[in-house]
Amino acid sequence: MSNRRMDRAETEAIREVLGGNRDAYRVLMDRHFSSVARVAFRITGNKEDAEEAAQEAFLRAYNKLPTFRQDSAFSTWITRIAMNTSINLVERRKRDLSYHAPRIADEPSAADGTVRVADGHASPEGALLSLEAATLRHEAMAGLTPMERAAFTLRHMEEIPMTEIATALNITVNSAKQAVFRAVGKLRRSLAPVAGGLR
Amino acid sequence: MKHFSEDDLIAYQLHESSDESAIHRHLEECKDCAALSESIAETLRVFSAEPFPQPDLEHNWQRLRGNLSVLTPEHPSRLSILRWHWAWPAIGLVAAALIVMAGVGLHLHHEQRTKLHLALDNHAINGHGPLTTQPTDPAIADHLDAAERLLTEVNNSQGSLDQTTREQAHTLLLKNAVYVHTARDSGDVAEAAVLENLGRVLTTLDNEPPTERSAWRLRLEMNTNGLLLDIRILRQNDDDKNQGAAQ
Repeated sequence: MSNRRMDRAETEAIREVLGGNRDAYRVLMDRHFSSVARVAFRITGNKEDAEEAAQEAFLRAYNKLPTFRQDSAFSTWITRIAMNTSINLVERRKRDLSYHAPRIADEPSAADGTVRVADGHASPEGALLSLEAATLRHEAMAGLTPMERAAFTLRHMEEIPMTEIATALNITVNSAKQAVFRAVGKLRRSLAPVAGGLR
Repeated sequence: MKHFSEDDLIAYQLHESSDESAIHRHLEECKDCAALSESIAETLRVFSAEPFPQPDLEHNWQRLRGNLSVLTPEHPSRLSILRWHWAWPAIGLVAAALIVMAGVGLHLHHEQRTKLHLALDNHAINGHGPLTTQPTDPAIADHLDAAERLLTEVNNSQGSLDQTTREQAHTLLLKNAVYVHTARDSGDVAEAAVLENLGRVLTTLDNEPPTERSAWRLRLEMNTNGLLLDIRILRQNDDDKNQGAAQ
């Protein structure tokens, strides 16, 4: 998530969208949908929810485009919106106790678009161990609050600076750090009983 | 010997510590802190970035595009409106006359308009125009919320659908019929269209034989017509959090 200024193509695309050409929005989507979906994926933990959250973010951004101040990059703006839509989605999922969608590593399947965390070329025993490890990781991540999960994944996996995470999540830098530290502590303790068995 | 806390060592491992060199020196001398630091590092390695499945841009664009309204340029500024001060009395008279005429017209043609709305095809949703309506009735919002959760669960599950899911669909189907009627009566064509679409999927869910093939067909239908996104858009409220994020 950089803070660079928008280039001419994006500025022109926004001008066209505001002029009534909604197809011009495709330019912005082509450039940023993948990165936005990746951020959403880190927060939601599965491809389906990530794409839903990314779509919602792009729709919200589109509807608010007339109020978008172009003194910051569109990528920064849309990523912030995506973080919030993703966290909201995770919170809704957590509220719904009946939600048992397969997650990243429960049942990796290319046909269903689920994520294959385990090594696809591993032996049956290796695949089983990888699946078990992935399940443990998923369960550990499920113990985090949406805020902790978002702050941790964005900092550790996406390597986004704390200041940008804090701005995006509308919290102080110190709160963002504390959320990351709590997340790491929780994850470490949740894996402690099987420490050394997860690689 | 002063030991470092777990948070200090996490900050160290994440390169967020302001005292990295001091911690580094300490870890070379203190076995306990070194063990804790290694445990943190191991945790971070276990939770390293997993591969991200690339989304299908074309598919996502097609789903999104149907819900994009045609935007118009910014409203005229306040100053330009004030320049019309000389016209306010005339505008007021015209507006009053229009309100009276509209009231009479509504009174005379209420039934015809209701019938007209019922006869209209679902044209406001997904692919045919913007989705701008939001449910104002909390009961409908709850209904949409429950429907969204159910459909998401169906969408993300595998194999044939279990009995509980089908029972939930049946309950939602009964309520849905009422809300379709309410939306039509209130002239909310967009909401009625989404609910009718939802009703079709719920009917399939309720009546199809519990086979893997029928469940697959149902998921395909949901993904093809973008129903889930329509429901989410209709249900969503412009909460303060996202308002803030958009600024």
